[in-house]
Amino acid sequence: MKEAIELLSLPFFASLILIGIHCQFGLQVLKRNVVFVDLALAQSAALGATVGFMQGHLPLTIGAYAWSLGFAWGAALILSLIRHAPKGIPPEALVGVLYVATTAASLLLIEKAPQGAEHLKQILTGSVLTVSPDELVHVVPLYCTIGFLLWLAARRGWFAQAGMAGWLADLGFYAAFGIVVTSSVAMAGVLLVFSFLIIPALVGLLWANTVGRQLTIGWGVGGLAAAAGLVASYLLDTSTGATMVSSFALFLGAALGGRMLADNGWEMRRVGKLLGNLVAIVMLVSAGWFIAKPRADQPLLDALEASWPALRQAYFSPQEMEIHADAENYVKRYAAEVVRLTALEASSLWETSSVDDEKIRKISSFQQSYNEMIKGERFVMQETRSRARERLRWPLAWVLLCACLALLSFPSKRPGWLAARLPQLMKPTDRV
Amino acid sequence: MSQNGRLAVRFLCLGFLLLLAPWAQAALSVVTTTTDLKSLVEAVGGNRVSVVSLAPAGSDAEDYAPRPQDLDRLRDARIIVRVGLDYDLWLDRMLRQTGNPALMRGGAGHVDSSYAIVLLEVKGAGLSDGGHSHGAGNPHYWLDPANAEIITGNIAEALVRLDPANAKHYEQRRIDFLTRLEQRIRLWQTQLAPLAGKPLLTYHNNWPYFARRFRLNFVGTIEPRSGVAPSPAALSVLIRRMRDEQVSFIVRHPQDPARDVDFLARKAGARVAILAASVGDLPQAKDYFSLFDTNVAALTAAYSESKP
Repeated sequence: MKEAIELLSLPFFASLILIGIHCQFGLQVLKRNVVFVDLALAQSAALGATVGFMQGHLPLTIGAYAWSLGFAWGAALILSLIRHAPKGIPPEALVGVLYVATTAASLLLIEKAPQGAEHLKQILTGSVLTVSPDELVHVVPLYCTIGFLLWLAARRGWFAQAGMAGWLADLGFYAAFGIVVTSSVAMAGVLLVFSFLIIPALVGLLWANTVGRQLTIGWGVGGLAAAAGLVASYLLDTSTGATMVSSFALFLGAALGGRMLADNGWEMRRVGKLLGNLVAIVMLVSAGWFIAKPRADQPLLDALEASWPALRQAYFSPQEMEIHADAENYVKRYAAEVVRLTALEASSLWETSSVDDEKIRKISSFQQSYNEMIKGERFVMQETRSRARERLRWPLAWVLLCACLALLSFPSKRPGWLAARLPQLMKPTDRV
Repeated sequence: MSQNGRLAVRFLCLGFLLLLAPWAQAALSVVTTTTDLKSLVEAVGGNRVSVVSLAPAGSDAEDYAPRPQDLDRLRDARIIVRVGLDYDLWLDRMLRQTGNPALMRGGAGHVDSSYAIVLLEVKGAGLSDGGHSHGAGNPHYWLDPANAEIITGNIAEALVRLDPANAKHYEQRRIDFLTRLEQRIRLWQTQLAPLAGKPLLTYHNNWPYFARRFRLNFVGTIEPRSGVAPSPAALSVLIRRMRDEQVSFIVRHPQDPARDVDFLARKAGARVAILAASVGDLPQAKDYFSLFDTNVAALTAAYSESKP
């Protein structure tokens, strides 16, 4: 527990700082309809770093930073002109084109300097888990200044001005965003920065009307989602960036669902019906698939069986249960042998002073044999299950069908319509 | 025939011979998939072969994306030398495209240099733990310098088969190379002797063969699978292990992400050594010998720095 806190506290703090600045930018970005602008700017900065590398500047030096900032500002200049684009051209499309063009340019450059690839990677694939205190110390004053200026600009309505003044305000906006994104993507990676930018701002827009409230809600929800994502990533043993993005997506889903409910006056009955219909459709499709191909993958049934292995007792014969359990035990035993041999090989690399080829060859051949045997036992398990399922094809399909028909509710004024006709449908022989 | 006419005929004959001369002396053209194999083919072939490596120095040969000119290079080649073991799978499609049966698997010009190597981490298909997805065995076998004897053997066999006129030349060069290598291996072993059994960590699992030759104890791999960053739980296990077993340094390849390695080094007070896994990964590693010179120097430097 102490280790977890020690490991996760700095990433959490970094996430809060990043959400703080990105939520502000996110609201502006959503308003301008240039959602992928952060990707375009980050990619331009990476292109700059690659060019800098080819000029002889090592990454993380002043020279490399100047090159990437220069390219990010070049992109900012192009982006600020988007508002003057011909009518009928959506700004998002131009941002997308800028992104793919800069990506292609950096790929072409890397081909000329293969060792540049690693520098490009270092810029675009940060990981919030391994953020260092030094990085945070550098960005906090910078983000505070930019955040304050952005707040001032939004309050005074600088962005709403027409003509030259408005263009200059836009240029300043994109240039500042370029500075922020260049450092934040290097810290947290492209995926996570995009989530920080868009999702808290979206939740804010969903639940509030004034900018102040939108920001407060965005920051609060963002902080919660970041904490949940970090803890989940520790408990589930999954990679941090991807887990945090999933956590943000779940929070957005909840906020969206809540908003839709609120707009409908919290009518739980309708929600219940909707969910019932969804479940019924999934079961209907599964039942159809089961009747068509009982030996193929059955996602619903497989998932249920994986969570409750006892479910097998319902349709396996005692003999099948025995065969299945037997094979499962063998898989465990062989897997343990493989683990033991792997450890033996690893220790044989250094424990003695002599190099023994014969021993290594023996370990290899035993490992291969055990893995083949594991595959064989797995095949037995699968075949037993397939045969049991095939036997149950029709009875189980009917049970599923009845269950889903019972759950199905139609938007008809006579809810009993189907229920009244169900007995007739169940006896197809009567109609002949 | 007049005097002038005879002269003209002589000139014509001379010109014809001069035209033929480059053909008689033409070097055998060999294509390799990696720079390491290129260096070894040069060691055996000398000036009788011209070698090109498809994956350029400093690139990741495992994920190499072939370019149009590579097809031309393959079309002109008499011999293709590959790492095998699912390491350069991208080559198979290119070979099919060139449609030269001599270069395909089983052809006279196809050399799989992993033939007869004692493989490590052989799992058979289906299992993918331990930082590598290769069921056929860990493919970084050229990092055991003693394996160069087998690799150059595979190469020399193909050179002699396709260019029997120079067989003596190739055999002699290979023997000279192996004599020099044997002396160097002994030198590297004495230089690395103080590190024997000392625990160390690597980012990507490319060192088992190197570790076996020099008796190094790699206690763990940072990335759980090729190209996947470690989870927080995995990191905390690694940190605990580093503190418990007093791991004093971490090895990484220049292409591996610096952030994760630096993070662990900071948390556990360890040193980082940057090693070249292939010829050309670092500017000092120019050929097969300097590859090991560079790595041995980097390891001993990191070790002497980490000593309290």
